[in-house]
Amino acid sequence: MHSNRILQVESITKDYGTGDHKTTALKGISFDVLEGEFLGIMGASGSGKTTLLNCIATMTKPTSGNIMLNHQNISSFKGGALADYRGKEIGYLFQEFELLDNLTARENIILPLSLHGMTGKQGEQKLRELANHFDIVSVLNKFPSQMSGGQKQRVAAARALIGDPSIVLADEPTGALDSKNARILMDKLSAIHKEQHKTIIMVTHDANVASFCSRILFIQDGCLFHELRRNIRTETTDNFYERIVTVVAQLGGGSANVL
Amino acid sequence: MFFKQIRRNASKSRKDNGLLFGSLIIAIVAFYTLLSLESQDVMRFLKTIESGAVSKLMLIIPLVYVISLFFVFFLVYFAYRYQMDNRKKEFGLYLMMGMKQSRLFAMLMGETIWNSVVSILIGLPIALLLTEGISLTTAQLVGIGIIGHRISLSIPALLGTVIGFIIVQIAAMMFLCFQFGRKELMQLMQTDSPDKQFIATKKGWISFILGLLFLITAYGIGILMLKSFDLRVVTLIFVFGGAGTFLLYRGMGSFLGRQIRKKGPSQSGLFTFTGRQIQENILHQHKELAIASLLLLMALSCISFGIGIASGRGAENTRSVDFSIEGSEQDISAFLNSTENDALIAASYPMFLDQLDTDTHTFSWGLDAALSAQPKTDLRDTIIKNFDQQSEYPYIISQTSYNNLLQSINKESIQLKERQIALYTSFRNSLDFVDTLSGAISAGAYVKIDNKSYELLPSLYDENIVADRKITLYSAMIVSDEDYRNWAKNSSEPFSWNVLLSKDSVQKNGLMQEIQSMENCLKAAGLSYESYISGIGRNLFYTVAASYLTIYLGVLFMLIANTVIGLKFLMYQRTNKRRYLTLLTLGAGIDDLCSSSQKQIRLFFTLVVGVASCSAFFAIWSMFTSFLKLPAGMGIHRVILLAGIGFFLFLFIQLIYINIVERASRREILALNITDRR
Repeated sequence: MHSNRILQVESITKDYGTGDHKTTALKGISFDVLEGEFLGIMGASGSGKTTLLNCIATMTKPTSGNIMLNHQNISSFKGGALADYRGKEIGYLFQEFELLDNLTARENIILPLSLHGMTGKQGEQKLRELANHFDIVSVLNKFPSQMSGGQKQRVAAARALIGDPSIVLADEPTGALDSKNARILMDKLSAIHKEQHKTIIMVTHDANVASFCSRILFIQDGCLFHELRRNIRTETTDNFYERIVTVVAQLGGGSANVL
Repeated sequence: MFFKQIRRNASKSRKDNGLLFGSLIIAIVAFYTLLSLESQDVMRFLKTIESGAVSKLMLIIPLVYVISLFFVFFLVYFAYRYQMDNRKKEFGLYLMMGMKQSRLFAMLMGETIWNSVVSILIGLPIALLLTEGISLTTAQLVGIGIIGHRISLSIPALLGTVIGFIIVQIAAMMFLCFQFGRKELMQLMQTDSPDKQFIATKKGWISFILGLLFLITAYGIGILMLKSFDLRVVTLIFVFGGAGTFLLYRGMGSFLGRQIRKKGPSQSGLFTFTGRQIQENILHQHKELAIASLLLLMALSCISFGIGIASGRGAENTRSVDFSIEGSEQDISAFLNSTENDALIAASYPMFLDQLDTDTHTFSWGLDAALSAQPKTDLRDTIIKNFDQQSEYPYIISQTSYNNLLQSINKESIQLKERQIALYTSFRNSLDFVDTLSGAISAGAYVKIDNKSYELLPSLYDENIVADRKITLYSAMIVSDEDYRNWAKNSSEPFSWNVLLSKDSVQKNGLMQEIQSMENCLKAAGLSYESYISGIGRNLFYTVAASYLTIYLGVLFMLIANTVIGLKFLMYQRTNKRRYLTLLTLGAGIDDLCSSSQKQIRLFFTLVVGVASCSAFFAIWSMFTSFLKLPAGMGIHRVILLAGIGFFLFLFIQLIYINIVERASRREILALNITDRR
């Protein structure tokens, strides 16, 4: 392997509640993510995939285990280091876009830079590149309420990328989009991944969307359950999609049918 | 179980809405203070001397109370609507689980009544203590003394406060229950999306500029035209001022938007976010802001008016005579010389005052030339006209009488030389009149009696020559005793006998007590008299009535305005909680968010307080240059000092509110801490 390991997840567990009310959402998951990888995480509702993503995003703390990004243990981050990590090292793409609806698209995209002491003027060049790439130049001065869902999510994607993060985390980014807009977004994200070798981790339960990934982890009941790797050179998206659908179907039928 | 839930919910809503709960307690205190006015020492005292006026005031008080209940109703309605909006989903769930609407209604009513009872239990003891304090202090200040103090607990006021407060609470809740009862279950279960931002348009700018122009017009009309106190002028001021304020707030969003667009790109941190938050807040809540700003303006104007009247009246009377007694010389001398009264009396003398006998003497004023040399004003022309008309029956005062008066109050006597006369007026409170007249006589004026010219002394004399209002003199002449005997219609009988009470006994027992005991003696002797106390009574009555009511209304308006602004902000922050969460995910620190919200709160309050203060400045200016004349002896620096202290206090109260809102907002942001919350 010539690529570096950018993210190492080491036997993380996550419990909610205590005593009799304890629920274990993650039961000791370990995996590595290589630099430039487009990793998908799939699983049924309640399988723990969003909890896993939120642990990586430092939105929740794992009960045990370590998460290392660029060989730094992010579980130990606090205060300023935590805020820095969130803004600089990771970009987050939400299912519901989470644009601030009282800021224009331009102001929304610039926000992560502003939060880390840069001005809008300094980020102008990068903003223009991203706006061109995501085809949102025409809406830069508009407020979210004046945009379509697709435009909103592309603005959110530009916001996630403006700080040039080491890793982009996406939680069901197409969940609130129609199929056409979902396709446009995935094409754009995939292009970013290919051209800039950006590392992306995406949670989804849509096999179509997942087929853009280079590797997919399947989670069931808080455990890593299966892994699919796409052969980039030989395998088309359609073929990969077929394979994903098969696993998803087997997942639905229980572990007895798989492998 | 049901009651336990009611108690739990009620205590939670008190905790969540400390600001409203606190304001309601203050409202209770204010209500009781107003309603118990009748049982205050000062009012009980005034009743004995000005019973007619006091009973008229007591008729107005219920009306003022109803008006204030009406305002408080809106505050309560508005605050409860906000609370219910927050709990909409909870109500939806109760109904989904099969709770009957009537039971839900009973639960909400139960909570309201429970909260009202808690507020009353906290508010009333504070109110009782406060009114007791006010009663004692004012009594002490005006010298009724502690002897006359009675506990001012008033059962009717207590009942009035409790009933009024509970009715307002229940009425507001019933209105809301009715509104919510008509909503579909699905509407209750949905969470409201925050208001959508819309781009500032040209309309906003037009509004903003028009608002500014209207306000400037209102200020101008106030200062230049309010003097005439024409109803049309007042209406114009209200229309322009009100419309201007509304338009200004309506367009303010556009103005802020422009600033953000201009400055935003070169700023880092949460500058743009903070600006946009305020802009959005103003865009969506411009009506409430305008109302709050107008309420604050009313509060400032009412309080200034009240303080103006109170301090003005206080300075009006300088005490020169305590009693003016009428009767035969024999009776009066007998009374004054009796040993039991001796200790009470410091000075007594006859006041010789009469009309000049124009049947046997010719008389004319020689003031026209000197008055005409004064700056031309309407007043000057009126004075000239009045003096012309008054040459028919001019009044004269004997020099010794007036000197007796001056001596009794330790002032220098008048020394009249031959062919000299001093000018007197009892209109000392009309500053402009006194100024013009003093200017004229110091420039050299004279009178002609029997074709002989008499020089007027260059200073004007204005001590009150009777105890109260037995006589008021536009003008009179203080003449030598010899001249008095020659010119007066009846020079042998004094106008009245003046008595000044002994300083020692006044200091020992208080002026009021002493006057009252002297009055009893006079009544017993069957003499008719007037006393300084009636003047004090009248003044006190105006002071208490006008200042008490206006300050009460002012405080209430301020309370409502601040609570509305504070609640509006917190409501807005709560509806936009997600934004703060997003910012945390994007890497903003908790401290950044708190400081942004702090800036928002400060700017939000400043925008309301700023416009209100600016308008209040012009309103107070207009008031003091028109119907609220500055009393004599009150220098402009004293007014500025008073206004300064008043405004400082106002700002201090605003700071307290800002601090309360900041704490509440900070608490909410800290509770958002992203880790393990999403």
